[in-house]
Amino acid sequence: MILKGRPISPGRAEGRVVKVGEAFSFLGGVNGSTGDLVGREGNIAGKAFAFPKGKGSTVGSFVVYDLMVHGKAPAALINREAETIVTTGAVISSVPMVDSVDIGLLEDGDDVVVDGDSGTVEIRGLPLVRVASSAVVSGGRVLLLKRPMGAKSFPGAWSLAAGKIEPGEEPEAAARREVFEETGIRVGEPFASLPPILVRGGGTMWEVHPFAYLAEGAAPSLNHENTEFAWALPGDVGARGEILVPKTRDVVLEMTGAAGR
Amino acid sequence: MRLTREEESILAGESGDGRRKAMELIVALGRIYGAERLVPISSAHLSGASYKTIGDGGLKYLSDLAASGSKVSVPSTLNPVGMDRDRWREMRISEGFAEKQLEIIDLYGRMGVRTTCSCTPYLGANVPRFGDHVAWAESSALSFVNSFIGARTNREGGPGALAAAIVGRTASYGLHLDENRRPTVVVEAETDGTAFGYSMLGQAVGSAIGGGVPYFKGISPGADDAKTLCAAMAASGSVALYHVEGVTPEAARFSEGLDGLESIHIGERELEEARGRLNTADDVQLIALGCPHLSAKEVRDIAAFLKGKKKARRDVEVWFCTSSEVRDACREEVRVLEAFGPVLADTCMVVAPIEGSFQRTGTNSAKAGNYLPTLCSQKTVCRDISGLMEIVT
Repeated sequence: MILKGRPISPGRAEGRVVKVGEAFSFLGGVNGSTGDLVGREGNIAGKAFAFPKGKGSTVGSFVVYDLMVHGKAPAALINREAETIVTTGAVISSVPMVDSVDIGLLEDGDDVVVDGDSGTVEIRGLPLVRVASSAVVSGGRVLLLKRPMGAKSFPGAWSLAAGKIEPGEEPEAAARREVFEETGIRVGEPFASLPPILVRGGGTMWEVHPFAYLAEGAAPSLNHENTEFAWALPGDVGARGEILVPKTRDVVLEMTGAAGR
Repeated sequence: MRLTREEESILAGESGDGRRKAMELIVALGRIYGAERLVPISSAHLSGASYKTIGDGGLKYLSDLAASGSKVSVPSTLNPVGMDRDRWREMRISEGFAEKQLEIIDLYGRMGVRTTCSCTPYLGANVPRFGDHVAWAESSALSFVNSFIGARTNREGGPGALAAAIVGRTASYGLHLDENRRPTVVVEAETDGTAFGYSMLGQAVGSAIGGGVPYFKGISPGADDAKTLCAAMAASGSVALYHVEGVTPEAARFSEGLDGLESIHIGERELEEARGRLNTADDVQLIALGCPHLSAKEVRDIAAFLKGKKKARRDVEVWFCTSSEVRDACREEVRVLEAFGPVLADTCMVVAPIEGSFQRTGTNSAKAGNYLPTLCSQKTVCRDISGLMEIVT
């Protein structure tokens, strides 16, 4: 499984992911002689250190250098959005760095190869499963399904009608088949679709192919794959704090044209 | 990004490891800000000079860089450091700090940097020309050369500016490009015309707009006013370029087409608010003037004001911070000032480790007023120079 990003600092390195989910300041955020994170668990020495973006004092660049001098530098850096401080720290300390990577796709302990020349992050040993996901729309509302608590992936979460794409099957055909299997609803041509997106769920990376169908007046009849259904206005999806399969809200808003509303 | 054959060869290491690393940094920074090419620079001004701010990591970086034989390839000057290199004992600097600070100055010197250590190099040591592309760090100085000289620089960080100085180029994005030098907001301003008034104006505008390129109407700052206005807006906000109608060199180019822009008004109420935010102490232990470094005219004005007066309070120290050039050029006036406190060169109250000796500092600078609490753990009194000197006379 290879994530494509942008090359920032040259070089190639392997390591286990240590992830911080928010903007990070090297000054004050890590001990420059040991690599221990400050205020949270973890040590970044020799690790592929992933966080969305840098913040804080420009002296942070020299903290990265300090780590390198002490033999405690991260093996590689992965950002969503590189800025001056972290980029400077990476380059002067010869730490490979890639940005434009969705940090949400990485988890602590992932075995990765970061290539700062080609701008890629390879996650080793992570299976990629292709799924089709469908927003079924009636009366301006989207059909949401609740997964059983015993489901192997995303237990208890609300999602769209979705399922694996069989070998040799077209994604759109898989989408229609899954809608029928899970809800008994027969749908025609999709009125919207999106390029595939990646969703991380534990030990699997899902490549999701989203489609949207009109099914005015349809009445779902669920099979064993889900336990409840609900019709929701696009803007209400996830708005009440219910657990969703990642990116469900974004996909719904984008396909129903309600993004930004 | 398109690189020339020469730039490619530097990146490939054909002119040495030091230049390769510097080029890697310029290219990486250019890439994240969408630069399409590099642009030759005529000068650099470097920050990251005080041992207090860069620490052992920064010292080691500079020492490795100097050991690799790296040298700057364009005229380059250095920001203030953590102490006066001769009078550091008067500043209560420890031997250990002084040793490391002197080593940092020496390392920059070995790389060919002119170590005058001032934040006002544009007053003499390093003066760009209109239209020059340069790589300057030090937010107040780069705003001055952008705004009042019409040179072109982004807000460079210390290592980025040093890398640019080594390869003689920087990435062409941001304020190097015409389209990003257009005004983004019109500021109708009232001031009392004093340098302190301009400092408070800068504080109010920076707080109000954050970043962007303001276009001022209704003011006509002189050189010292401009110096303090630049410093204040770069500290309370991140303004790196502004235009003043009828004053700055690029203002006329943009005088058409202002109608569509947002417009704000800064008057007495906003200035009073700005002043209020910068006054957090009732009394002071240190009065420090010279943020940015005092110009020769300011030294003369202060000397004229203090001549014949006596310092009445022994419990308050006074520091005058300036460049070594100004100190050397104003010997008469410096003698008058020395009756009140040391005239220090190479340094200032913000980058010196004053937090070990003082808790309450008086300043006439909005920039210092912003940084003294965060970088030096100080409470502040912010008044004009005569208001501050009244405390000790």
